[in-house]
Amino acid sequence: MTSIDTTLAPAAPALRTASLSRRIWKQAFASFEFRLGLGVFLVLALAAAFYPEISGIDPTKMVVRDRLLPPMFFGDNWTIAHPLGTDQIGRDMLVRSLVGLRYSFLIGVSTVAVMLVIGCALGMLAGYYGGKVDAVIMRLTDAQLSIPMIILAISVLGVSRPTIPAIILVLGLSSWPTYARVTRSVVMTERKREYVRAAQVMGASNLRIMLRLLAPLILPPIIFVSVLDVARMMIFESILGFIGLGVQPPTPTFGNIIADGRKYLLNAWWIATLPGVFLGLTLTSINLMGATLERARNRVYGGVS
Amino acid sequence: MFILSFLARRLAQGALIVFLVSLLIFTLLRVVPGDPVRLMAGGMAPEALIEQIATEMGLRDPILVQFGRYMGGVIQGDLGQSFVRPASGASTGGASFSDSTRGERAEVLTLIGDTLPMTLQLAALSIVFALIISFVIGVPGGLAPGRWPDRVAFYLSSIFISLPNFWLGIVLALLFSVKLGWLPAIGYHGFAYTILPALVLAVELSPVLIRTLTSSLATIMTESFVAVGAVRGLGRARIVFAHALRNASVPLLNILGIQISGLLGGVLVVEFIFDYPGLGLLTITAVLQRDFPLIQGIAIVTSAIFVFINIAVDLAATLIDPRLEY
Repeated sequence: MTSIDTTLAPAAPALRTASLSRRIWKQAFASFEFRLGLGVFLVLALAAAFYPEISGIDPTKMVVRDRLLPPMFFGDNWTIAHPLGTDQIGRDMLVRSLVGLRYSFLIGVSTVAVMLVIGCALGMLAGYYGGKVDAVIMRLTDAQLSIPMIILAISVLGVSRPTIPAIILVLGLSSWPTYARVTRSVVMTERKREYVRAAQVMGASNLRIMLRLLAPLILPPIIFVSVLDVARMMIFESILGFIGLGVQPPTPTFGNIIADGRKYLLNAWWIATLPGVFLGLTLTSINLMGATLERARNRVYGGVS
Repeated sequence: MFILSFLARRLAQGALIVFLVSLLIFTLLRVVPGDPVRLMAGGMAPEALIEQIATEMGLRDPILVQFGRYMGGVIQGDLGQSFVRPASGASTGGASFSDSTRGERAEVLTLIGDTLPMTLQLAALSIVFALIISFVIGVPGGLAPGRWPDRVAFYLSSIFISLPNFWLGIVLALLFSVKLGWLPAIGYHGFAYTILPALVLAVELSPVLIRTLTSSLATIMTESFVAVGAVRGLGRARIVFAHALRNASVPLLNILGIQISGLLGGVLVVEFIFDYPGLGLLTITAVLQRDFPLIQGIAIVTSAIFVFINIAVDLAATLIDPRLEY
């Protein structure tokens, strides 16, 4: 805000920063880990999107005759119709896992969207206006960071009815502070740049500067890293389901399938374990992508500044 | 003197945080639907009886009045009595409600006091396991950035972070306890019962530690004092373990402090799976039974523990690296 930064505004970063997110993307895409993760993820996503409809198997329909069939290549009465076997009342495990994957992924993505909107908006306000606004918002994030959110989350979901919007809201409200911090620190450095001041001089409103100038510039890198949080939230969702505070049965989710299968662990190990393998595989693919994106971002930022 | 003013400031902040947490939990529990008296008295109890009990217990007063009364007790070290659990042990509630049993309801403080040491034992063991795992995987990775140990560390941490803890708990119990019979799993009858749950928590805890250790060790190995160490005639092992690791462990410690708060979520689930009689299991049953005083007590105790851990971590970091300011 002083006159000093007129002297040190070198080779305008506009050109290089504009392609920043593309460079991160390119770097990440060049690595084998990212492609591996993407490939596995696409296969699973396509399967989850189409297999339940194509196979025509109802994930909640009981077929008592086919109950407790083992998965492929285990035991002696496995069938190709149920590649992952069936559970105690004859429901197909593959379809159930894939439908669970849909819910899990949708909840994960929307939770992260909630986190991003709240966190980035508050961080943007704090970093842009500074002063009192900043102090209030940052104390708020500090307080939130030191609250055992899991207790809060399960208390709220435990005493009220766990519906999908409630789950998304509770999980999203519980983990926005990190985004607020990151956004704030980036905005604080960006808002002192020449182009922001130029826009102010030309009479652009604060809102316009934040939404049209700052947001497109700083948000993509943050969003790249939030891929990791999608995986984290999917785990959280399945934990809630496992305790019985997630999406309620008969809708299959990883959490309640595994909680259910636990009772039959000794005579039908696949009910509890295979959905977990599925979930683990999905999460590994997402985490591989997220971690390479994060590395690429760190490298690109390290190169620029 | 420095340490004293630091401690005073942090403790004051901590007290404020604990106060805010209890206010938040207290309000939330009373705002959300679900009447605990209905659960205590049973579904068949007449409405008038429920109102009478609720008024007697002060549950129909304004929230702030209730909170004031509660905090007054907390300051004197009285966290109240559980709504549901009798002092004798097994939890009741439900169909049979009679006035005579209410005198024997368990003190929240004793319930927490009984379970907290178990959880601390579990947490300590899992941190030890996590540190062992992350050093074994992370140190080679940090010493060879870009080569295969680094990649192994990257893949392993990606896999570890993707394993849902409740699933891992079930699989490990099935493998080590049912199939191989090496370790006991369910309940608690001795120290051996802590090992499997601690292992699950350690796997959950280690990915972030592995990544932090790998990257910070890799950066520190490029510093000039490492190169100078070789010139001074120090052995490679001495440089790595005495000089580089010491510096690399500061970010590790900070991360560990943050991770411990994340550990709580894992503790809940893991104790639930292994039926381990700790604070996590107590929390889950308290929530499922709408045992308000117990939930509040647990929230207060855990947030106080968080505050202390964070202060301790900052102090320990300055001990390792005296250059850090408070």
